[in-house]
Amino acid sequence: MSHKRVVIVGGGVTGLRSAIALDDFGIESTIIEKKSEVGGRVVGYSKIFPDFRDGRKIVDDLAGAVSSSSRIGIIKETTIDHVQKKDVNYTITLSNGSVIVADAVVLTCGFETFDATRQGEYGYGVYPNIITSVELEDFLNPHGSTKGKLLRPFDGNPAKRIAIIFCVGSRNKRIGNPYCSRICCSYSTKQAIEIKELDEESSVTCFYMDIRTYGRGFEEMYQYAQDIGVKYIRGRVSECSTLLNGDIQVRAENTLLGRPVQGIFDLVSLSVGMMPCADAGKMSELFGIRRGSDGFFIAEDEDFNPHSTDTQGVFIAGSVTGLKPIRDCLLDGASVAGKVASYLKKLDNK
Amino acid sequence: MEDRSNLIDESAYHMHMALSQMSQEFYYTERCLQCGICTEVCPFTRLNTIDKFSPREFIQRLRLGLLDLSGEDLWYCTNCGSCEMVCPFEIPFVKVMSSLRNLVVKQGAGYLPATLKNSISSLSTYNNPWMEDPDRRSDWMRGIDIPAHKKNSPRKILLFIGCFPSYDVDGKRIARSAVRLLNRVNINFETLGNKEVCCGDSSFRSGDSDGFEKLKNINTSNFAEKGIRYIYTLSPHCFDVMSKWYFKDNEYHVKPFILLIHELISSNILKLKKPINKRIAFHDPCFLCKHNKIIDEPREILKSISGAEFVEMEHCGAKSMCCGGGGGGVFLDRKKGERLSEIRLDEAVRSGADILVTACPLCLSMLGDSAKSDDRYSDIRIMDICELVLEAV
Repeated sequence: MSHKRVVIVGGGVTGLRSAIALDDFGIESTIIEKKSEVGGRVVGYSKIFPDFRDGRKIVDDLAGAVSSSSRIGIIKETTIDHVQKKDVNYTITLSNGSVIVADAVVLTCGFETFDATRQGEYGYGVYPNIITSVELEDFLNPHGSTKGKLLRPFDGNPAKRIAIIFCVGSRNKRIGNPYCSRICCSYSTKQAIEIKELDEESSVTCFYMDIRTYGRGFEEMYQYAQDIGVKYIRGRVSECSTLLNGDIQVRAENTLLGRPVQGIFDLVSLSVGMMPCADAGKMSELFGIRRGSDGFFIAEDEDFNPHSTDTQGVFIAGSVTGLKPIRDCLLDGASVAGKVASYLKKLDNK
Repeated sequence: MEDRSNLIDESAYHMHMALSQMSQEFYYTERCLQCGICTEVCPFTRLNTIDKFSPREFIQRLRLGLLDLSGEDLWYCTNCGSCEMVCPFEIPFVKVMSSLRNLVVKQGAGYLPATLKNSISSLSTYNNPWMEDPDRRSDWMRGIDIPAHKKNSPRKILLFIGCFPSYDVDGKRIARSAVRLLNRVNINFETLGNKEVCCGDSSFRSGDSDGFEKLKNINTSNFAEKGIRYIYTLSPHCFDVMSKWYFKDNEYHVKPFILLIHELISSNILKLKKPINKRIAFHDPCFLCKHNKIIDEPREILKSISGAEFVEMEHCGAKSMCCGGGGGGVFLDRKKGERLSEIRLDEAVRSGADILVTACPLCLSMLGDSAKSDDRYSDIRIMDICELVLEAV
């Protein structure tokens, strides 16, 4: 059994950033990461909106700062089995058998993407040339499985005609996710730009409901996408079907023209929305914190105490509290440290 | 210069007030994201016609008080329900159409096609949509005996015929086949005879909710008099309105007749001995597959016919392409070349089917009429499932 000041659950960019920020306060922390590597999802994004920075490099910088500090420890390939609260401490039993007593816990478990097989009409998992934005991200990554080449999974031929369908698994009460996932318009636009920059001859068509590129620099990115020829059609796709040669036919109403529209594509990417992390239910139970109707964690006060939860000593940061761009996750990681620091100070003064 | 901009607030307010008096469903339209998925799946948008129908646009105009009920487009909707099945915010568009049609029928707030005006008034006076003599409603039974009480039968059902099987020349084939099938099994059944009146679906769908209530009351008091709790309807339309709008409690069990056929075949009471060596496709009636999720049973029936090769059309199951008959569509005359039934028949031809089977008298009428009027479809036989099963026993 070891005593630690802070345990950070989740070694993605938010967890790494909060460890570094705590280190700035001279506070030691231990990151518990369920995978074999830290970096979460960002490590797989070769370009991040709006500045098209390399995700791998961001993770490397963060991981470098973490490893160069003696105050930050990382336990990989481990999850939490059991939590017991004793006074103000948390006795945490890990899956590797070891036990940690922590003064404060920061939950940075991230998010899941929507399982596109739940929208059967889009044919994901049935027609090979229909992929999700997650897979597209891998295809566009020069270090990814296709070495940055955009190929049709059906036959390996180059994909020249690409459709990107927005709002898959979001803004849909029917499947249980009425909320907007906030970043999909932006990441989809970013991907559209990447495709065009990779191959000028390619044709990219985005089927959208609204364009919510809301952040600083996002609208400009959307404008740039249109400048380089990305097509935007306003209409929610009703179904995708396949032709014998693997081509995908997409149908929607072009609501701005008031006419039905259909197109044939080599590759169709479903921009899937965000969902609470797979462990949200488990964490909620283990630490006694509430979840909203959308499944994400609820803070003690969304305006004044966004990092605190109903449980004293348990803090939340990053995508666990809702959908946000990577820049905001990093911001969260930095700001939660201040909250934890002042909490620990109060504990010490008691 | 004339200012042609719409005054937003005033007309929206009046429309809002009128509609909220009509129905609760109006409030659901506030959730519409204008995404257009409803319009894409709407079968009407597949027609090659200059007529336009966009459920999405209807809702947009509705919310802004710009709705113009003087056009024909209010009547294009066949109530198939494809839109409701895909709407991400579960807006009950068919009910919205119903409320608007009620505004027209009851308050004269717009245009009512002449043929619907006639069918509505006929339902009110003659209890059927064609001004047919109510005393001849059970004439279709001529030549068929309904045997007296079958001994040792554990069951007694009420067979609700419906207007089409009673009066329509194609529909009567359904009624006669159904009764012949029932005569082969040990189930006691009765009909309401000439006391039967329209289930009210045609009134309900055309916006005459008062007419519907009147017909409903006649039928429900007749049911009470008969005292038979298990009712099977030959038409999925009758089944839909009765099971959803007639009874408040579970006293009566209403089901479509096809489910009885399915039950009798799967429990081996009705034995299909004769082979039918044909390729058969099934046209799912909207009121079975979409509104009531009855999709597998018809297929199981057809697959148990020996020698039959079952083929699916492009749009099958819950994605079935509407024949155009629902929502009053069966009373409207669309030009040849601009009919949903033709799109459906083209699919049947493409599937290579010899026989196109359906399980709804309206579908039978719509598909049958269009098939007769064009040589393209002369090789396909349009049948009701009761007729087909009768040929196989």
